[in-house]
Amino acid sequence: MGTQRYLLSKVGQLLLTLLFVLTIAFFMFRVWMPGDPVKTFVRSTGSHYSKEQQDAIRHEWGLDRPLFPDQYVDFMLGSLTFHFGFSTVLQPGVPVSSLFWEKMGKSAILITTSTIASIVIGVYLGIKGGWKRRGALDNSSMASSMVLYAMPEFVLGMILLLLFSNVVHFFPSGGYESYAVHYTGVDRYIDIGRHMALPWLTLTLAYLGEFYLVMRSSLLDVLGEEYISLARAKGVREKFVLRRHAVPNALLPTITLVALSFGFILGGVLTVELVFSYPGVGKLSVDALTARDMPMLQATFIISVIAVLVANLIADLLYAYLDPRVRRA
Amino acid sequence: MRKVHKGLLVIISGVITMFLAAGGAWAQSATPSTTAGGAGQPITFVEGTINDMRTVNPWKAIESPEYEVLALNFDTLENFNKDDLTAAPGFATSWTQSEDGLTWTFQIRDGATWQDGQPFTAEDVAFSFNKTLDCSLGNSLDYLVPKFTKSIEATSPTELVWTTSVPTLAPVRPPWVYIAPEHLWGNSSCDEIKKAPFFEDGKPMIGSGPFQLTEWKKGESWTMDANPNYWGGAPHIDKFTVVKYDNSEALVNALKNGEIDYAYIGSVDLFQQLQAAGPESGITTHVGPAISFDQMSFNMCDPTAADAAPYCAKTGSTGNPALRDPVVRTAISWAIDRQTLVSKILAGLGSIGTTVIPPFASAYHWEPTGDQVIGFDIAKANDMLEQAGYTDTDNNGIRNDPKTGKDLDFRLILRSESDVGTQVGDYVTGWLKQIGIKTEPEVLTDGKLVSAWYDNDYDLYIWGWFPDPDPDFMLSTFTSHQCGVWSDTCYANPAYDKMYTQQQTTDNVQERAPIVQQMQQTLYTDIPEIVLYYDKYLEAYNSRDWQGLEDNQSPTPDGYLWAQYTPYSALTLAPRGTETSSSSSSSVLLIVGILGAIIVIVGIVMIARRGKSDEDLA
Repeated sequence: MGTQRYLLSKVGQLLLTLLFVLTIAFFMFRVWMPGDPVKTFVRSTGSHYSKEQQDAIRHEWGLDRPLFPDQYVDFMLGSLTFHFGFSTVLQPGVPVSSLFWEKMGKSAILITTSTIASIVIGVYLGIKGGWKRRGALDNSSMASSMVLYAMPEFVLGMILLLLFSNVVHFFPSGGYESYAVHYTGVDRYIDIGRHMALPWLTLTLAYLGEFYLVMRSSLLDVLGEEYISLARAKGVREKFVLRRHAVPNALLPTITLVALSFGFILGGVLTVELVFSYPGVGKLSVDALTARDMPMLQATFIISVIAVLVANLIADLLYAYLDPRVRRA
Repeated sequence: MRKVHKGLLVIISGVITMFLAAGGAWAQSATPSTTAGGAGQPITFVEGTINDMRTVNPWKAIESPEYEVLALNFDTLENFNKDDLTAAPGFATSWTQSEDGLTWTFQIRDGATWQDGQPFTAEDVAFSFNKTLDCSLGNSLDYLVPKFTKSIEATSPTELVWTTSVPTLAPVRPPWVYIAPEHLWGNSSCDEIKKAPFFEDGKPMIGSGPFQLTEWKKGESWTMDANPNYWGGAPHIDKFTVVKYDNSEALVNALKNGEIDYAYIGSVDLFQQLQAAGPESGITTHVGPAISFDQMSFNMCDPTAADAAPYCAKTGSTGNPALRDPVVRTAISWAIDRQTLVSKILAGLGSIGTTVIPPFASAYHWEPTGDQVIGFDIAKANDMLEQAGYTDTDNNGIRNDPKTGKDLDFRLILRSESDVGTQVGDYVTGWLKQIGIKTEPEVLTDGKLVSAWYDNDYDLYIWGWFPDPDPDFMLSTFTSHQCGVWSDTCYANPAYDKMYTQQQTTDNVQERAPIVQQMQQTLYTDIPEIVLYYDKYLEAYNSRDWQGLEDNQSPTPDGYLWAQYTPYSALTLAPRGTETSSSSSSSVLLIVGILGAIIVIVGIVMIARRGKSDEDLA
């Protein structure tokens, strides 16, 4: 199968999966969910709305139309264009997308930078550890990775919070930026960076361990392969044995792990944002769940699914790039 | 091998350098609330809260942060007296009542302006009140006694006349209705007013108060700027910011770290930790008034009753019918040890609950005495139930309803948002078990509880109230027309409804107080709900950097330091004058941090080059 066909097939699979998941979401949040979202909204406002006023809101939200096909099509198109309706409890009447994207921006910086850092550091240490097995670096990395891998993210976060915020006051205990001092320009970015430091460190350390362990294990497996022995027998220098033969093959399981881990990373962000009161999409999800704000929950659910599917697609494409056998299959 | 170690050492020292730079920068800026602040930094007082603000529409406020913002951004007709929360001159500088008691005339302050510079006049008051009445707006509608108000009109820019069909104290309770600008909202329909957000990004909320809402990051924080032209005098600070936290632990942590300056502490344990640390820690704690209470409510809705509230009759109820028997409710009340709740749950920071009008409303509070008092007596409770025929007919340890034969098995809903809800629920469950009643505690969010409440789908629940200074609203929640609106229980008692109307139509406290007290006694006897305790308001603030709060508590004594009904301390709060470092040092530390990063990169290169030479030798 050529590259183009491979790419098209993967994108097609993504779209089919997305269609299926959105259909399930429609049933979950519209058809099966008990309660009337208009009544929930009215109750949240504490105001009195007449029946006519409630009907007008129902009409504005498209809830008076037939479930199939009208509401279903609206739901699918709205989800694909990121229009998720109005918040019913958290911020009654406010468009969900405006609340969501504001928080998403803050989480995206955190997730992206910490994931990249944990992959880069974890893979690097895994390569070094696997190549110089039982060396000082390998032993120390192995021990710390096991601890980090076993420890829940929120526990790690609370330890870091205790050490670096409560005991030594190096970093703030939470939030996105300082409120007592109004920084501008570069100082503001530094302030935001300081607030992000501990959540970032928590997420980086939390997932670094598993990337290290998988990379190390995978490299050790590859180093036992016959083609490595052949390369050495042919006189290939060790650095090229590592870089051109061992690492590319050992990376494949790690890439799979990255894609699979993305869903867990999103879950980890949720708990970490709660520990540090970081106003991102994870915290928004918990608030929406606690408040039973269905449109908001729906948005977080759908965006999370899309993010995981896209991460898997990227992993598949990387896999094909690294392993030509996949493209030709 | 040695050179690899060197490289590692270099990396480690680089990382430490970066960390120290970042930490040093934070430590420098962590000193809270700039005062002079250098470089023109505004003086900002920061409050932390675990309650979110959902609206700033003056007619739709429900949560305490919303009222806090509205109290700072807007004015009411009269102020709440600092000491006893009765009516005091504010926008209305004076008032008189006609001989027949049917007309109140208010003199409105001259020269006051809205925050956009437009003059504030009696027209604005008339507009706000009439809009509330015409559109049946908001939760403060009853303050304007719609049944008895004939007209409210501005006879001149500085005179307002309020005419009623019966004599009433309503105009001087004072009415808790925020005055909105007529020049901005005068042409809005009822629907538009209801939907109006009142604040949009980039458009500060126009009010008349000492502060103005200028920024709102939903779910995160909101900021108000001081109004230097406020008629009551300019605040001594430039900004007031509120930051939302998820839980009391994070809130207290932030207070200790100097990230916020003030917080209401919902957790007694955390408050006591702060108390134990003492003012030397830089944080002063304050035990405020016991104005709020927690109660256990019974589902009183009987759709088949002749005098059932209309909403109850229409919606129906899943409530256990045994709870409509006053004997059962009375027995349950005798089985609850309120003193233990005060000692164990509140650590003594509260008092035993009796009626829904707390003791701070001294002119109106009714306190049971002698035989009227329902205390704690398990034997008496058991005896009452036995004599009423509630015996354990199936020997399973649970009494049975003589009418239906079913177990006295009640669903008890507890709030997940309450710091103490589940603890109180555990105690109540244990006590009721001793009198042969089984409860099924269920922890729900406030949203789910509200749904259950609207659907009359519960037996018991535990919640709480922050009653208004005037008893009218709290008493109104027990009238039958409040079922499905504000009623905790769908209690319906025509005699009580009549008394409610009577107290609304008296125009002096001496006549009104006995009626209000009689109403409390009725509720105490009928027990639609049990007031468990009055809990004190626990506050803590950064006293190292701030002053002016403790001298202006309201009400007195032991009133609120902040978030007052009329914000007195907002005008006296001031920094103590400590300077903080300017932000320029953070640039120096940035350079240090960058140097640290360079050191790390050098270390990596050293290791890489050493690795290369090792492999070349292999």
